[in-house]
Amino acid sequence: MQGFTPNTDFSELHSTMRAIELASNSIQMQISPAASEAIILSLGQSSQPYKTCQFILENSLVATARFQAAAAIREAAIREWGFLNADDKRSLISFCLCYAMQHASSPDSYVQAKVSSVAAQLMKRGWLEVVAAEKETLFYQVNQAILGIHGVDVQFAGIKFLESLVSEFSPSTSSAMGLPREFHEQCRRSLERDYMKTFYQWTQEAASSVTNRIIESDSVVPEVKVCTAALDLMLQILNWDFRSNTSDTKINVFSAGVGQDGDSFRRPECHLVQPGSDWRDVLILSGHVGWLLSLYAALRPKFTYEGYWLDCPIAVSARKLIVQFCSLTGTVFLSDDGKMHERHLLQLLSGILEWVDPPDAVSKAIENGKSDSEMIDGCRAILAIANVTTPCVFDNLLKSMRAIGTLTFLSMWMSEVIKVLITRNTEDGTWSWEARDILLDTWTALLMPINTITVNDLLPSEGIKAAANLFGFIVECELRMASASAFNDEGDSDYLRASISAMDERLSSYALIARASIDVTIPLLTHVFSERVTRLNQGRGIIDLTETMEELYSLMLIIGHVIADEGEGEMPLVPNAIQTQFVVNSVEADKHPVILLSSTIIKFAEQCLNPEMRDSVFSPRLMESIIWFLARWSSTYLMSSDGIGEKILDSGHHYEHSSKKVLLSFFGEHNQGRVILDIIVRISLITLTSYPGEKDLQGLTCYMLLHSLVQQRHICVQLVALNSWHELANAFSTEKTLFLLDISHQRSLAQTLVRSASGVRNSEESSQYVRNLMGHIATYIVEMSSKSNLKNVAQQPDILLSVSCMLERLRGAASASEPRTQKAIYELGFSVMNPILVLLEVYKHESAVVYLLLKFVVDWVDGQITYLEAQETAAVVNFCMRLLQLYSSHNIGKISLSLSSSLLSEAQTDKYKDLRALLQLLSSLCSKDMIDFSSDSIEAQGTNISQVVYFGLHIVTPLISMDLLKYPKLCHDYFSLLSHLLEVYPETFAQLNSEAFNHILGTLDFGLHHQDVDVVSKCLRALQALASYHYKETGNGNIGLGAHAMGLKDSSGEVQEGLLSRFLRSLLQLLFFEDYSSDLISVAADALLPLILCEKGLYQVNDSS
Amino acid sequence: MSDEEHHFEPAADAGASKTYPQQAGTIRKNGYIVIKSRPCKVVEVSTSKTGKHGHAKCHFVAIDIFNGKKLEDIVPSSHNCDVPHVNRTDYQLIDISEDGFVSLLTDNGSTKDDLKLPTDDSLLTQIKDGFADGKDLVVSVMSAMGEEQICALKDIGPK
Repeated sequence: MQGFTPNTDFSELHSTMRAIELASNSIQMQISPAASEAIILSLGQSSQPYKTCQFILENSLVATARFQAAAAIREAAIREWGFLNADDKRSLISFCLCYAMQHASSPDSYVQAKVSSVAAQLMKRGWLEVVAAEKETLFYQVNQAILGIHGVDVQFAGIKFLESLVSEFSPSTSSAMGLPREFHEQCRRSLERDYMKTFYQWTQEAASSVTNRIIESDSVVPEVKVCTAALDLMLQILNWDFRSNTSDTKINVFSAGVGQDGDSFRRPECHLVQPGSDWRDVLILSGHVGWLLSLYAALRPKFTYEGYWLDCPIAVSARKLIVQFCSLTGTVFLSDDGKMHERHLLQLLSGILEWVDPPDAVSKAIENGKSDSEMIDGCRAILAIANVTTPCVFDNLLKSMRAIGTLTFLSMWMSEVIKVLITRNTEDGTWSWEARDILLDTWTALLMPINTITVNDLLPSEGIKAAANLFGFIVECELRMASASAFNDEGDSDYLRASISAMDERLSSYALIARASIDVTIPLLTHVFSERVTRLNQGRGIIDLTETMEELYSLMLIIGHVIADEGEGEMPLVPNAIQTQFVVNSVEADKHPVILLSSTIIKFAEQCLNPEMRDSVFSPRLMESIIWFLARWSSTYLMSSDGIGEKILDSGHHYEHSSKKVLLSFFGEHNQGRVILDIIVRISLITLTSYPGEKDLQGLTCYMLLHSLVQQRHICVQLVALNSWHELANAFSTEKTLFLLDISHQRSLAQTLVRSASGVRNSEESSQYVRNLMGHIATYIVEMSSKSNLKNVAQQPDILLSVSCMLERLRGAASASEPRTQKAIYELGFSVMNPILVLLEVYKHESAVVYLLLKFVVDWVDGQITYLEAQETAAVVNFCMRLLQLYSSHNIGKISLSLSSSLLSEAQTDKYKDLRALLQLLSSLCSKDMIDFSSDSIEAQGTNISQVVYFGLHIVTPLISMDLLKYPKLCHDYFSLLSHLLEVYPETFAQLNSEAFNHILGTLDFGLHHQDVDVVSKCLRALQALASYHYKETGNGNIGLGAHAMGLKDSSGEVQEGLLSRFLRSLLQLLFFEDYSSDLISVAADALLPLILCEKGLYQVNDSS
Repeated sequence: MSDEEHHFEPAADAGASKTYPQQAGTIRKNGYIVIKSRPCKVVEVSTSKTGKHGHAKCHFVAIDIFNGKKLEDIVPSSHNCDVPHVNRTDYQLIDISEDGFVSLLTDNGSTKDDLKLPTDDSLLTQIKDGFADGKDLVVSVMSAMGEEQICALKDIGPK
């Protein structure tokens, strides 16, 4: 390419300008854009195009051409920076800067903005090499501009230049320069240390200088533009991620002022502004905040004037800056017990109150058409304040101005917002939704630390009252919303789990508010709940109860959140507030409010055992909430052993935890625990048998409630002693209705029942328990498989269904294998090994059954393999191989024909799932070599796991087509297994026949070019293993990979390259010419070395060529 | 002989009905269902409630196993649906005749000659191509509710 060479010749400059102008115009008009783009690009790519560009900037009348010229300067200068001499650099920067200033009042401001940002970028590029004095000279000009000496337009341009400069130096918004991260970091640090504050001061001065003009004038003056830009720049600077102060080891930024317990980071999304003590004079002592507030206060009356309105740019910017100041914290304030910080917040709060006080009047105005921005920004400000204060400090702020504390005000404010929310009953996205969510976050920010840390600064008593009032109102509103929505049918799909997870955050915040005043809210909830139950009992059979049912549903969710936490896989503790806020005499345990509430609910739930009540009151939806509640409640309270929690909490205040002791002992094993457990089991049995087809309800029962009960051994001990549990087990084995459950629910139930065997006294009895439970299922499978007319009946829908059920149950039992029941489950599986093969043959076209068969075997082998003795291992391995072979013989070369593309893709998906299961099976077998609890070595029986797995892979790999490898999970599993095998058993690999071998190599090659880094690195590790194995072996005089490593003649007589040289080539190709993640470099190097060592000759030839 | 055998086979499951009743809640994705008197394979099941406190109902999206058309149905979970008895039998492919019929070899050595080739071109080509290559082909014939169709083929010839 010829490009644009530096040329002083006027006519040539002119012609270039013409070319660029033409190209810019035609791009805009979409005429041959590619060609025009090439012309414009070539300007930036040519060497030293600065003269040309400057010429265009100064002379062209086409704005887009000037824009392109500026872009070209940037591109060329960043590229050629190293070759430019200091004068050139300086003159480029100052040209851009002067250009932006001189043309500040010209139209097409985007050109000036571009030039100004080019100046900023070039300045940053040279930042570390330029001496301070030189920077001073440049900044002097900027300062002059900002001071307004050259007029408003230049002032604006100056501020805008600083804005691009700051954004250029901030790591998250900087433009790429092809330099190391370190460079950007040094620039950032230097700007923060040496200039940031100065910039802020300049901006401050600029803003103050125009303030009077703005305030005095009734119409919009040009100064408004300057002031808005200044406010934006100040906001941007305060948004800077200040770090210098954190390196200050002496003063801990968190310890000074308010918000002392270091929990300021409790909410990761909350943004704190911590510029450090250097900024105190500028931000705090200079009366800056006062100026800002009075500016906004002066703007407010103007909103009715022409050119001003509530959401005009200057108002928006001012409010944003005010909200930002609420987040200010750290050493910028004196460490005078937070006095200075409090004064600061108070000043802000008094300004903000104007926007939102009184809440009812403001909300009415908004409903009548006023903009909601002040209200929403007010909410944001109060959230910011809550994030930097403790509840006490927060509450006190308002007290110096008003008779009420901030918490009381917050409670009133939020009540108002909720009132609007429910009266409007509007869709998501209105202002009341947003305000409600922000205010709820505010409560969460205030109350979260009280909830988790042992209470040392409680809420002030007024605040507790405010929380109680608010919670009462929330409950009232939620109930009103519930009854109003009881007949809404549009929420068709919002079944319990979905609605809970959507509401979960909100309910958790409600729970925090409730816990802040727990001694009021628990009795309140008990009262409201009992009242609704009475209404149900009285109205039963007389009136339509749907509204009350929906209210109870919603109450159940609220109460569940208030009195218990979600365990998230761990054992949840009794919430702190409930542990500490009740002082109860253990003799009068049944008077404990939480016990009262729990008992009320459980008693209510128990009524569903009565068939009449069930039909009239306990709708599936209500039952869902009951099951959800029982699951959540029981994991916290029911027979909670809690030995660990006791130790942690008993360190100090002993008396405080009497409440918890009373609770836990009341619901403990020796007290009411057994009775309640019995009720829970009975209720579960009812949901499983008396709610036909209610999958969601039954899913909750199986997965949430029953599943979590059997996780703890001491509960299992109680369970297996209960008659109701045996009834459940009996129903499971014999009752037809339980065969109508969703088959995956049946699996879960089988798992739960088998797992409860851990509560049986000794291992002999627990084996017997498993045999009783599962024996007939195995018998059914055995008998079915030996039927002479199996082939004819097998595909009948009823047989198909019962076989599927039985297999799922077997799988559930297999996955519950524990050392105690292992023997019994082994025997169970052993007895159906042959029948499984028979069924696999019969159902080979029924993909759903095939998958169940495979999954059962996978889970069974996975649970058993580590325990098996040599003989058993041999039997299992033998069985697995027959299974693999049979599966392969059914599927290899099979083509599904269907007119429906979706059925074809389903068939493909089925295949993928099958293969994934088979790979899991192989992986499980593989693990026998790693973990083995058996008494003798499996080698005694002549079983060699590596041989087995390779044999398996031999069978499976031909089924894995490149198409199937596009399923990410299959791909992942396959390459995990492959790289593991190659690393551990490279020698067996060498023994594979050439077809299997080549197939595996083909997949490796595929994997090497996969886009998933993980897959590529697995392939690289596999390669490394292969190559180093070969290198070591040949070094010892062995053949290593032997023929595979050599070039081979294939059937058509052509010489094929050996595998190592082939991969050496393709790896080098990858590393040199293709894009790859830097995470791969080290693995790639590890693989490259042995490959080079093996194929030195080839490498050197390539090297030299 | 071949005729005798041919008539004997359907007689074996003469007592078996073409469809079976089954609770809607137990029918899963990949299962079969009869919608509008057509045997279908279910590709999607979702549940919802009739009113907030009503009972569950299942929404089935299914594909006609013979003609590939999509059908939908909504049934209360606890009610019964008809489930077709879908049978699949493997036969070795002996011949493809000019008039669009195939000749198949049954397990017991007789032939079955009443099955038409699919009319869809791509399916037809797949079968014909396979056969023309001289491979040993086994075809799976799917039958349900009185209809039959070739649903899969498999090359069992020596590699």
